[in-house]
Amino acid sequence: MGLIIKIAWRNIQRHRGKSLVVGIILFLGAMVMTIGNGVVSAMEKGLKENIMNRFTGQIVVMSSRQEQDNVIFTPLGKDVEVIAGFDKVKKVLSSQDCIAKFLPVGKGLTLILNDNGDVGYALVLGVRFEDYQKMFKNNIQLVEGKLLGNEDRGILVSSGSRKRVYDEQDFWLQPEGVPLDEKTLTPEALANKGRLDVRNSIVMMGTSQENTTMDIRMNVTGIIRYSYLNEFWKNFNLMDIESFREVFNYVTANDVVTEVPKDKQKLLDRDNFDSLFGDSVVEKVDTGTKNYDVSKLMGRRVVRKKVSVDSGAYNLIFVKLKDPGAINSSAEKLNRAFAAAGAEARAVPWKKAIGQLGDIAMIMRGATIGFVMLIFFVAIIIIMNTLSMAALERVSEIGMMRAVGAQKSFIAGMFLAETAIISFVSGGAGIIAGAVTVAVLNSLGITSENHILQLLFGGDVFRPALDGMDIVIGVVELALVTVLATLYPLKVARRITPLDAIMRD
Amino acid sequence: MNIIEMKNIKKDYPLGETVVHALRGIDLSVEEGGFISIVGPSGSGKTTLLNLIGCIDTPTEGSVKIGGEEITTLDDTDLTNIRLFKVGFIFQTFNLIPVLNLIENVEFPLLLMKENRLTKEEIRERARQCVEEVGLKEFIDHRPAELSGGQRQRVAIARALVTKPQIVLADEPTANLDSETGASILTLMKQLNKTEKTTFIFSTHDPDVLKYATDVVKIRDGLIVDKTDSSKYLRQSGVRKKPGPAKAASPAGRRK
Repeated sequence: MGLIIKIAWRNIQRHRGKSLVVGIILFLGAMVMTIGNGVVSAMEKGLKENIMNRFTGQIVVMSSRQEQDNVIFTPLGKDVEVIAGFDKVKKVLSSQDCIAKFLPVGKGLTLILNDNGDVGYALVLGVRFEDYQKMFKNNIQLVEGKLLGNEDRGILVSSGSRKRVYDEQDFWLQPEGVPLDEKTLTPEALANKGRLDVRNSIVMMGTSQENTTMDIRMNVTGIIRYSYLNEFWKNFNLMDIESFREVFNYVTANDVVTEVPKDKQKLLDRDNFDSLFGDSVVEKVDTGTKNYDVSKLMGRRVVRKKVSVDSGAYNLIFVKLKDPGAINSSAEKLNRAFAAAGAEARAVPWKKAIGQLGDIAMIMRGATIGFVMLIFFVAIIIIMNTLSMAALERVSEIGMMRAVGAQKSFIAGMFLAETAIISFVSGGAGIIAGAVTVAVLNSLGITSENHILQLLFGGDVFRPALDGMDIVIGVVELALVTVLATLYPLKVARRITPLDAIMRD
Repeated sequence: MNIIEMKNIKKDYPLGETVVHALRGIDLSVEEGGFISIVGPSGSGKTTLLNLIGCIDTPTEGSVKIGGEEITTLDDTDLTNIRLFKVGFIFQTFNLIPVLNLIENVEFPLLLMKENRLTKEEIRERARQCVEEVGLKEFIDHRPAELSGGQRQRVAIARALVTKPQIVLADEPTANLDSETGASILTLMKQLNKTEKTTFIFSTHDPDVLKYATDVVKIRDGLIVDKTDSSKYLRQSGVRKKPGPAKAASPAGRRK
């Protein structure tokens, strides 16, 4: 072994030009690879952290009747099935040791009605807002107005939605009592400031799963934006869960039904002329069961005093785990528990739940890895060619070694050692240079408003980072490149016979 | 005992669409301790014959036995081992490893021998002795590029002898040496031939080399046309046999 290393090292020095070419390629390849690994690693980490911690948790629970796992960015805002029997689901979630906390939410698409007949749309999440903020690290930033309390009614309109409403429906949403702030106006709105149709409330119309509709007027409590990945979440508005249920006609058996005196019943339901001729204006709801029966209850009107939000209807439950790394195993465990309890719910990992965003992230990751692989492919070809030429130029030397008794394995070892030494020195330097570059890029804190770049960054700020595993992966990749690049030259060198050397002379 | 036995050896080389018949049916037996010269005009098949004996090439047809072992059926690994352990080869053009210095080149085959059980120090000592015997003691740390053609040839000879092989094959061994150095090398070989019973087979045109041989094999157009003792051959060729070991008992190490 010592002899092989000695010859290999001296050959590297003797063929400085070729060694330098191979060394530079390996240096650049290793550096690009390290930076690429840093970017991919940061993107994955950033996306994981930002989306899991600020939007979805590690696991999203949905109705077992929900066909697709993608429930956040549903195509055309398609509704997500209601989770039936939330009580049962909640019991299961509460009994699981692996769960740190969970938050049930309503999610749906409402129409935004305008007096002139224009119709817009809004994606809304129905939440207990303070719980939402606690769950997701105060991810909602207030732009104007005020935030909601857990018991407050109202809607927090995202700045993205406000802009879209203005662009599509020509009115500007502004929280009540908050003067217009030019800084928050879009350029188009600013240009029309004098004629701006400012409104403090919004009429939203939701459709139940039985295709009945309900429209309600919601006061705009505040204008918000998301701290992270606002470009992707900017269409989600937050409203209190009670109003959400009203607009989507989500009524449950657990809702408290108030008996209203007969004289008031007629007044309450005065718009229902048919009912004036009936015996009872207000329908009674069967409150004997705790289970939520969608087919039986949805779409019915009841007169409610207060909704018991803890046991009501939800579309999704965001779950945070004690061990954020055990996503798949926890989801499987949860699904077994749901099945055992007869709960109509399904737990899916967050990546599946975010659908296309996860796909885009995968594509971005794939593209970055592909770029690194392309660099390496080119490097492999160049190194392979250079080493093959070197082998052919050394026919006399190799043939003579074989003639005096060197086995093919000795020749192969010599070539491999030469490449390995160059790879170790140059590639090692490349990895160090890459790590330094990553550290410098990280410290620069580059930001971008471009949502594709934000995906690549894994957040709003570009923070590429390397951990020990990335370095290990880099070393393995480098070793792989070295071996792949040496395979063919090795074959060439091993094929050289003493006779080739004699005939050449 | 015959250390080399060749029967009906044929060797063809494809050359474009034609085939060159380098050897056309050679039968040759060499006894252990022989000192044989192979003579013949250029292209007669001398080098091909040496290559076959030295396991560098394999015949197209026929049988070759080295030390009683049939080599035509051996694989590359076994052939390489025969080259390492049984055969020393001195090439027509001295091939040294350019990145190793003189002493490292000489000890190279010993370092390849995993079974030799010699320590590094023993290997170095044996290589040093061989270098001294070829008169290059003071060039021990020189790289091949720093040596003259003759000096390199002597390094190659030392390397061929260092493993104490049973057979030494030499293709024009003195071609690059001055007559004095050539004589001293041949004397050394003759000495080894006598003391170690090493078999030497040369391919040469040099009458001075022929003087050292015990037998001469004459080859022409790929066939052995004559095999005779060297005195007879030299008489027939009009060259007077006068071995000159005394003349060059102490080979010089100067650059050519």
